[in-house]
Amino acid sequence: MPSSAPAVAAERLTKKFGPFTAVDSFDFVVPRGNIVALLGPNGAGKTTVVRMLATLTEPTSGSARVCGHDILREADAVRQAISLTGQFAALEPNLTARENLVLMARLRGYAKASAVRVADALVERYEIGEFRDKLVKSISGGQRRRVDLAASLVVQPELVVLDEPTTGLDPRSRQVVWSAVRELVGQGVTVLLTTQYLEEADELADQIVFIDHGRGVARGTPAQLRAQIGDHRVDVVATDAAGFESLVRTLGPVFPLTLAPEKRTLSVPAPREVLDLAAVTQAVAASGVPVAEVALRRPTLDDAFLALTGTPTDAQDNQLEVSV
Amino acid sequence: MTTATIDVARALPDALPARPNRAVRYLRETVVLVGRSLRAVPRVPERLSDVTIQPVMFTLLFLYVFGSAIHIPGMRYQDYLLPGLIGQSLAFGVIGAGVATATDFATGVTDRFRSLPVTRLSVITAQVLGQMIEQVLGMAIVIGIGLALGWRPDLAGARALELVGLIALGLCAFTWFGVLMGMLVRSSDAMQGLGFAIMLPLSFLAGTFVPISGMKEVPRVIGEWDPLSTLVAAVRQVCQGTSSSGSWPLEHPVVAMVGWCLLITAVCVPLALRRYRRVTAA
Repeated sequence: MPSSAPAVAAERLTKKFGPFTAVDSFDFVVPRGNIVALLGPNGAGKTTVVRMLATLTEPTSGSARVCGHDILREADAVRQAISLTGQFAALEPNLTARENLVLMARLRGYAKASAVRVADALVERYEIGEFRDKLVKSISGGQRRRVDLAASLVVQPELVVLDEPTTGLDPRSRQVVWSAVRELVGQGVTVLLTTQYLEEADELADQIVFIDHGRGVARGTPAQLRAQIGDHRVDVVATDAAGFESLVRTLGPVFPLTLAPEKRTLSVPAPREVLDLAAVTQAVAASGVPVAEVALRRPTLDDAFLALTGTPTDAQDNQLEVSV
Repeated sequence: MTTATIDVARALPDALPARPNRAVRYLRETVVLVGRSLRAVPRVPERLSDVTIQPVMFTLLFLYVFGSAIHIPGMRYQDYLLPGLIGQSLAFGVIGAGVATATDFATGVTDRFRSLPVTRLSVITAQVLGQMIEQVLGMAIVIGIGLALGWRPDLAGARALELVGLIALGLCAFTWFGVLMGMLVRSSDAMQGLGFAIMLPLSFLAGTFVPISGMKEVPRVIGEWDPLSTLVAAVRQVCQGTSSSGSWPLEHPVVAMVGWCLLITAVCVPLALRRYRRVTAA
């Protein structure tokens, strides 16, 4: 039964794989009714945290309670309270979308006939109808993620755990997942999601926890973190050194500039986003100095890490995966 | 059937019946999961072919291509070959069970099941049972083809029961072995490759197709002590009343096969259960 205990309360949660420490004394609280995003680059330990909380792997040390139940001693109660959607949509590839939903419903305890009704309701609810009778191995990644999400909602769990629910998804499927997440929270479900996308965490979460090298490096509401990370900015890139100099002279008195002479780039904070972009563009146009680029930039995950920890992330491939 | 009674907006909470006790849940979940495995079989052509086309191919190949050059004193080649193929099919169960298990672990399907409030034993029981049923299907095909092509086993009275018992024991042992291997290897391709690399030579040395006694010394000695030889010799002894010699296991093939199967089961079941509990996919 739902209790007042937090959805997740982890203390000094640690997981070692041989000499490698995947999760390192991680303290973590997910309040009821919230969306909490666990944000970090590839290999930061997000999935390992989720796997421990979902009772799929045991911590090396430390403890956690999920919906009031100890993950080691009351694993069955934890599994009843939660519902996990893994990073690699774990459906049976040789069953159809609908058969997968029926299977999940039956494993949750529904009798056959009602499992079929539940599956059909989910098919309708998550717009699975057009591919419900296709084998899961032959549908697209976005469709699969939708089925996966529906499969984890054959009962209403207290906590939904989504491990990188939108990684590799097209924008439309991402929107479907986002609206499903918002709707869940509207029904009183708590959501814990992991993501590599700052934008996604910002968009959905009430609380964001940054994780890197298995450690929680920063946490707060999106607004608090934004205040620390810095907002959007407008980057003006000059065509040459002389242009850079004259832009500094023209824009300097008007805007608070951050300069990167080696990249011939002037940065202007843009808390009003497009409005600031317009103001800067106008000023540049009025100056008559030719420029290579004027662009509104969102802080990337790398910017965020730099701002919060003073060290850049060392995942080389991360930059590619962070949306700007 | 009114869909309206299900409250879609609240993610269908009220339709869930009360939770039965552990034993009932275990049985129910096992049945549901076995159903899932079997339903998938006809949709994976390569998995189906392992238990259908492959034994048929071996039967036809040896009976009509190589068989004309093989002379077994005192018996027709069909009667020599078919018991051998039954033994081989039992042993090849390792590959099928291993590949299916490795696939489930690699794709995250097992994790999905393990994250549900199901009895964890049901997941692995269903894996083993599903595989056994698949192997029985393959076995039935081998036996059917054999009978159609002139195999005449001598299974009067208790010997039919003895054969069924041996096959059941072999299925159990090699399926558990395969499930354990699948969890250790964790890649279905590697499992397929490794399985054939080990089982194919062992099955050729096991007197499946030609008598061990006629082999050169090195393969002969390997064959005499090859566990698969005892399977082949035991099935052949029960079906055709033959005797074999060369080593203690070949002189007492039924006892040796029962011993091997019990040993494999006794080793693999606890290891597989332990592995299953501890397994942590990356």
